[in-house]
Order: sequence, then structure tokens, then C-alpha cells
Amino acid sequence: MKKGLTGRIVTALACLIILAGYLFVPSADRRADAETRTITMGTSPDYPPYESVDAVGSGEIVGLDIDIAKYISDKLGYKLEISPSDFDGLIAALQTRRVDFVMSGMSVTEERKQSVDFSDSYYLARNTIVSLSGHEYKSLDELKGKKLGVQLGSTQETAAKELEGVTLLSLNKIPDLIQALQAGRVDALIVEDAVAAGYANANENLKFTMVPAAGGDEGYAIAFPKGSPLREEFNSVLSQMKSDGTLQQMIDASFGTETAAPSDSGGGTIDFGVLKPYMSFLLKGIYVTLLFTIVSAAFGFIWGAVLSLFKLSNIPPLRWFSTVYTSIFRGTPLLLQLLLLFYAIPQLFHYNIPPLLAAGLAFGLNSAAYLSETIRGGILAVDKGQREASLALGIPYRTMMISIIMPQAIKNILPALVNECVALVKESSLVSVIGVADLLRRSNIVQADTYRALEPLLFIGAIYYVLVLVLTSLARLLERRMRRSD
Amino acid sequence: MINVEHLTKSYGKHEVLKDISTTVAKGEVVAVIGPSGSGKSTFLRCLNLLETPTSGRITIDGVDLTDRKTDITRVRQHIGMVFQHFHLFPHMTVMDNLIFAPTRVKGVSREEAVAKGMELLDRVGLKDKADFYPSRLSGGQKQRVAIARSLAMDPDIMLFDEPTSALDPEMVKEVLAVIRDLASSGMTMLIVTHEMNFAREAANTIYFIDGGQLLERSTPDSFFAKPKTERAARFLEQVL
Repeated sequence: MKKGLTGRIVTALACLIILAGYLFVPSADRRADAETRTITMGTSPDYPPYESVDAVGSGEIVGLDIDIAKYISDKLGYKLEISPSDFDGLIAALQTRRVDFVMSGMSVTEERKQSVDFSDSYYLARNTIVSLSGHEYKSLDELKGKKLGVQLGSTQETAAKELEGVTLLSLNKIPDLIQALQAGRVDALIVEDAVAAGYANANENLKFTMVPAAGGDEGYAIAFPKGSPLREEFNSVLSQMKSDGTLQQMIDASFGTETAAPSDSGGGTIDFGVLKPYMSFLLKGIYVTLLFTIVSAAFGFIWGAVLSLFKLSNIPPLRWFSTVYTSIFRGTPLLLQLLLLFYAIPQLFHYNIPPLLAAGLAFGLNSAAYLSETIRGGILAVDKGQREASLALGIPYRTMMISIIMPQAIKNILPALVNECVALVKESSLVSVIGVADLLRRSNIVQADTYRALEPLLFIGAIYYVLVLVLTSLARLLERRMRRSD
Repeated sequence: MINVEHLTKSYGKHEVLKDISTTVAKGEVVAVIGPSGSGKSTFLRCLNLLETPTSGRITIDGVDLTDRKTDITRVRQHIGMVFQHFHLFPHMTVMDNLIFAPTRVKGVSREEAVAKGMELLDRVGLKDKADFYPSRLSGGQKQRVAIARSLAMDPDIMLFDEPTSALDPEMVKEVLAVIRDLASSGMTMLIVTHEMNFAREAANTIYFIDGGQLLERSTPDSFFAKPKTERAARFLEQVL
């Protein structure tokens, strides 16, 4: 038994959290922005050609929206920071002032106007019908009685709802829609032209047809928090860009040089070759996923152990606290806890919590609720005589718990602990919703980049499986080591 | 050395110990005997506060154990206890069992603790088992290790709670030999036991407890020759 083992674990954990915080805090927070003010843009980089990650090259976020945003901030003398997150989280990020503005191919809708202010629109996309070659649909009339795929919350969804006699399947992401179409779960998709063109180029079996612009569509615009003074500044630059042709140039350049990876086989077959350039980008996700799992597992275990001691304590308030704690964290969805932590902390404490820290915290807190019960069971299963022998030897409570009771308790519950770790590895994919670039998030980005839906998913599925396999073999080794004394 | 005044212990309405008062002198070896369920073990466990007395006072070398301000953990470091079921730490080797408390609680250096541990293992005849895990020892060996573990803390008092009751008959002897050796070395000891022959030859004093009362306190010779109470006489008739 080494002296102060837990002390060291706690220190290491604290270092990890601080390090994670340091790594993932937007650098704007650390810099004294004396000369140039930094403004942060929120975007969901899975929508080429508007925004996507240059995963093959620099790893930076690129696209038409980025070009426009850079141009405007340059003109206004701001320094631009880009904060990627899921499309669903963008409005919340604006409202909680995590970002100063959002550009993410976001259409102006009445609902959104309730929560944010929009600039003038900078692009009016046209809707297109995407269908499989051989089963092409050339006009909206032909879609009667068919099943249609649209992106959730998009203007295309609103337009499609007005069509008569169609069934709608609304999904979050374009790659998912393409997959649904390939799999025959829908007959056709309605998406916007630039996106459709990209996918049709990459998948030979996809065809697209333009449809007349929907009436009342106000196009894409920049979103600001309600009452933001930035809106006027941005509008003035936008109108200058429109009048001197800069905007049109950017649009042409962006859509013209669209370089979708040409697929050498038919779009319906699986070709892992398309992933080759993205290998290192995807593999970096392992590091993020592992770092996150380790931080949340360690935090969850230590906090869970403390909670389990609270539960066994003879001080009633500690018992009540831990019981209520467990009940709340087990009784609400993890995803909800994650989003609450991520969006509520900046509002309540004026601390812009970095995504990875928020995720580690949420998962640790949640995992601790489950582990506290497991550990409590493990402690109760240790022979009472162990406690009496320790007391009789004059061993203080803390030392007894750490060196005598816990090692035996852990040995009892090792299989349950391994289960929890395995669950954490897989649940970690939830963090992609707040923009942490873990494996799943990266596969989304690669899906968007390659216009291929299935290959990235299968690939990271295999990675997850291997990670879990490695984890369980390590656990088996540990168990064998602990069984040494039997 | 140990002074017990009007000690009582109840579990709810059930009174297990009734007004026990006694004094144990330094170097005295007390054998506590009596029928099962009479409260012998509870009495012993009160002496290091594994059981909290309901009322009464216990002082050891002038320190009042029942005083809330007393640091009982420190007091326990001077009182060794050996249990019926050994309670060795199963995840540690024999040597680690011996040196854990001295190194972690008393701050003895590892080398010193190991040297002392070896000496103690030699004394209980288990020098060759230092690196074994308890699961590989027989019951008698385990109990001898447990005794050595208590002795490693250099206690002033040793409490034995039925140390041979869980052992196979052929192993009782080896454990009793160790305890007898300890008794002759001048250690203050209280031993709850059913081994009458052992009590007779190893103890200076016999306590007879029945129904939660300390009914008799006398020398082995007079107790076994002619017990003062009716109940003690009947008990001896049954066990001898």
C-alpha cells in the first residue's frame, strides 16, 4: 500500500481538469483584448459549402459563411473566433452569450425571430428535389403520396409541410437524409441547391431537380442575440458587399470550386477509400474520447465513493443529501444534465465553461450517482470483522476506508465498475452535441465533407468496439491481479 | 490499570450487562468464562469501545474511555484484540498485515516494522509464511498471525475474544501455546474462553459471568475447586 494514493489521484484529477479547461477555453478569454475586440461566431461545421471542417488539411473551419464573417469582421476591425457546436445548440449559445453571432446557413423563420435578431439576408437558396437515379422526381407534383426526407428545423421542412399528401421524415443531418434515401426509407429529399449539388457529385446514383423558390423565404441571415449592437454594424458591411459585388464573388467562388471527393464506384456501395485522407482527423477523436472518458470516470469514481460514504454515514444531513442527489441524477436524462450544465453555468456564474470540462463534469456527476450505489453495496459486502479489526488496531477511519475496506469493496464490484467504464466510453458520444470533437462528432464532420453517410459511421463504430475490447482486457488483467490473494 | 465502574449495556430493552464493576491490575491474566449468551464477549468489547457502554465508567491508566473528549483511536492503539474469526486483512500478505498499523498509524519506519514483524512471526512459529496471503493459511496459523498483528502495535493490554472457538481441535493447542507464552511474559490480558483447562493453568483470575452479571471473581484454584455461587457450580458441572 502506497502512502497517500488517493491524495495523488485527487491531485492528478484536479490537474487533468485544469489542463482540460486550459486547453479548451476559447483563447479569447485568456487574452487581454485591449487593442482589438474579439468576437465569437457560432457555427455547425457540417454543412458544406457553407461551413465544414477542412479535415484533410488544416483542420480549420472553412466555407462561404466563414469567408463572409471574416470579411465583415476585418472591415469592422474585430478579431474573429469560431466556436463550433451542433446546429441545435446554436440559438441557445446566442441566448447564453456564448457567441456573439451565428452564421450557419441559418434561414430566417418566424420562430427564430422570437429568440434572436437577424441581419439582412445574404443568400437565398433554392430548394431542390434529390432522388435516386431510376426513380427520379422532376416536380413537386410528382411527390404526392410519397415519403419525403427533410432536415429538421429547416425552411425546406416548412416548405414540404405545405405539400399535400406527403409523409415527412425529419432528420437532424444531411448525411443521415442521404443515407435514408439510399436505404429506400424515403422516396426523395428536399434540400437546398448548393448542398444537393455537392452530394449528387459525390454519389453517382443521386439526381437533383431545382424547384421554384418558396414564397416568403427570407434566405440565410446572420443571427444575433436580441438587441445586439453588432447587427447594425454587420448590416452596413453586408449592404456594401452586395452593392460592390463582393458577396456575389464569394458565393461564386465558394460554390464554383466545390471539390467533392469524386466517388469512383456507384454511390450505393460502401467504399472505405474515401476515408483515407481523413484518417488522422478521425483518429484524433480517440484521444478526445479517451481523455474525456478517463476524466469523467475518475471524477465519477471518487465523487461516487464519497457519496457512498455519505450514504453509510451516521450524520443524517449527509445521508439525505446523497439520497436526493442520486435520485435527481438518476431520474433525469444525462443529455439534459449535459445541456443544462453547458448552457446554465455561463448564465448563472458568468463563467464560459469549456465544452470538454462541462462534459467531464456532467458525466462525472451522473456516473457518481450510479457508482455511489454500487460502491455502497460493495462496502456493505465487506465482512464487518474487517472494520472491527481495524478499529481495534487504532486505525483512523479515513485510513481504514481507503486501505482496508475500499480495496476489498472494489474487488467485489470490479465487474460493475468495468460496466460503468464501458458505458462511459460509449455514452461519451453524447458530447458531440455541445461541439466537443470526439469520435462521433468527427465522423459527422467527415460525413459532411465526403458526402458519404455510411463509411465514417462504420469506421468509428469499429474504433469504439476496439476501445471497449482493450478496456475489458485491461480490466481482466486488473481482476487477475486482485485475485492474487485468493 | 483497568478500572470498570457500574458498567451496563442494553440493546433496546434487553439488558446485556448489568452493573459490572471490577479492576484489572497490570500483568494480571483474566480468564472470562460463562455460558454462551451470558455477555462475556460484550464485556470484553466494551473495554476498547467496540461496544459503547450504556452507562458506567471505564478508565484505563487513568484515561476515561467513556468521556466524549477521549481520542478512542489513540487508546485502542495500546489495546490489542484477537477475534474468534481472526479478521486478517485478506488483500494483504502476512507481513503487510503485521506492519500496516505500525507504519501507517504509529509512523514506524518500514524496515523497523518488518524487522519487528519477523521477530513476532518467529515467536508464533510462522517465520516462513511472511509472504503468504491469509487465504493460504490454516485456521490455527491465521489466529497466530492475528495475535502477532496485535502484538506488532506494542500493546499494554491484550483482549482475546474466544480465540480458539472457530478452530479445529488439532489447531487449538498451537494457539493456546502462543497465548500461554504471552501470559507468562507479563502482559495484561483478558481472555474470553471455553477452554477450562487452559483458563485454570494460564490465568491468575477467573471471572464468571452469567446473565450479564459478574457473579464471581476468584483465583483459578479456588474457583475450580469450590465455586462460590450455585450457577457457577452448575456451569462447571456441565463443561467439565
